[in-house]
Amino acid sequence: MGSTVVELSGVSAVYEGERTPALHNLSLHVGSDEMVGIVGPNGAGKTTLLEVINGLLPITEGTVQVLGERVGSRSHRLRRRIAYLPQDMFFSPDTPFLARDVVLMGRFAGIGPFRPPRREDHEQTMQALIAVGADELSRRPIGRLSGGQQRKVLLARVIARQPRVLLLDEPLTNIDPEAKEDLSHLILEIHRQLGLTTLFVSHEFGPLLAAADRLITVVAGRIIARGMTEPQPVKVQ
Amino acid sequence: MMCSTMGVFVVRMKLSALGFAMSHAAFAGAALGLLLAAVNPLWMALLFAVVAAMILGPLSEVSRLDADTIIGAIFPLMMALGLIFLSFAPSAGVGNGALSLLWGSVLGITMGDVYKLAILAVVLLFVLVGFGKEFLAVLLDRKLAAASGINTRIYYYLILFLTAIVVALSLQITGGLLIYTLMILPASAAYQLLYDIKKVFLLAPVLGALSALLGFLLSLLADLPIGSSIAIMATIAFLSSIAISPKRRRSRLGSG
Repeated sequence: MGSTVVELSGVSAVYEGERTPALHNLSLHVGSDEMVGIVGPNGAGKTTLLEVINGLLPITEGTVQVLGERVGSRSHRLRRRIAYLPQDMFFSPDTPFLARDVVLMGRFAGIGPFRPPRREDHEQTMQALIAVGADELSRRPIGRLSGGQQRKVLLARVIARQPRVLLLDEPLTNIDPEAKEDLSHLILEIHRQLGLTTLFVSHEFGPLLAAADRLITVVAGRIIARGMTEPQPVKVQ
Repeated sequence: MMCSTMGVFVVRMKLSALGFAMSHAAFAGAALGLLLAAVNPLWMALLFAVVAAMILGPLSEVSRLDADTIIGAIFPLMMALGLIFLSFAPSAGVGNGALSLLWGSVLGITMGDVYKLAILAVVLLFVLVGFGKEFLAVLLDRKLAAASGINTRIYYYLILFLTAIVVALSLQITGGLLIYTLMILPASAAYQLLYDIKKVFLLAPVLGALSALLGFLLSLLADLPIGSSIAIMATIAFLSSIAISPKRRRSRLGSG
């Protein structure tokens, strides 16, 4: 593991209107090029963990640093370097956006207001669609694609954004069994080729979990087990 | 056309409850304007609608209030305030002014109003084009947009703010009771017909303008109130869009 890219120290987070913290005094270091799988029961805080890393959920205690910068709710600029695929991100059939526009929009934050997308943005978009094997879907409405195809387009969006950190929340859930294997390999390829720091939540046993450098188990907002390549004793705080 | 353009946001972001509340705030504001006589009802309507947007926006965001709850709380209050203001308004003003607030009247618009509307249309166009990319990203999915580094809160409030302005302005044309005609129906019709958001943004204002024009003709020919005529035309446009929508057709095939 190289230099630390994602660093959480003593992080607690509470969802608005709830008393029990979703994360409780949680610490975690993830290095560059590292791929970490997050497992645990429903409601354990796995999604919360991803959302505090990109600052979508404010923390109540501790610090979160990504690429050496402190993350907060106003870290818009930093967020451009963190790609996040939320859980159950599926588009309804009526969604009035074409697949290539969904990919292109991933680059909008980097272009800034009052400027149209440049030729370079369109080129990166097409290249990303080709890289995931979805170039023939580029002019199709996103909502008309299958779940697996939509995921591919969203992964193309990740590639087009050229991030440093990749956060995936249940990327294989609600996908056809045939497409799962395909997507798992695609995610691994993106992780390796772009040299990303990747954290993913999954409970699907398969190539993705098997390829992770490390697994951490989150229960009730705490990491109760760290292991896989570097097994550590389970300790309950 | 402005109305229908903002409608594209309102329909997709499911803001219609908020817009509905704003329109009634605008109505109450305009009624207060009539009562005070010294203040142009248009400005009071604008003020009320914008204030309503700025209060309701955060409220619905933070407490995740149900849309129905918002309507339920604001609609009666604003309607009541509007009617109370009207009942106190100087009797001379009530006849024309009050009726045009409720039902709208194109004929009640002065040349000065036309200039104000034109200026606001230009401002709206400027903002929409300037922040077009960011608005589109928010329309696709707010969470995805935020995760990609766009400050979605600013754009969400900008959308609310622009909607409030347009709602308040259209009060004069379609009246408080039919204010939604030009906002929701043309945009909904365009969504039925198209899969590409950029084309929706082009078609919705065209359908809105067509409805307004045909409604105006209908009201002249059949001697009907202008707001109602426009509403009928916009409804016809919406119903025909459902009838010929490729989305409906394919989903029927899919389910059968």
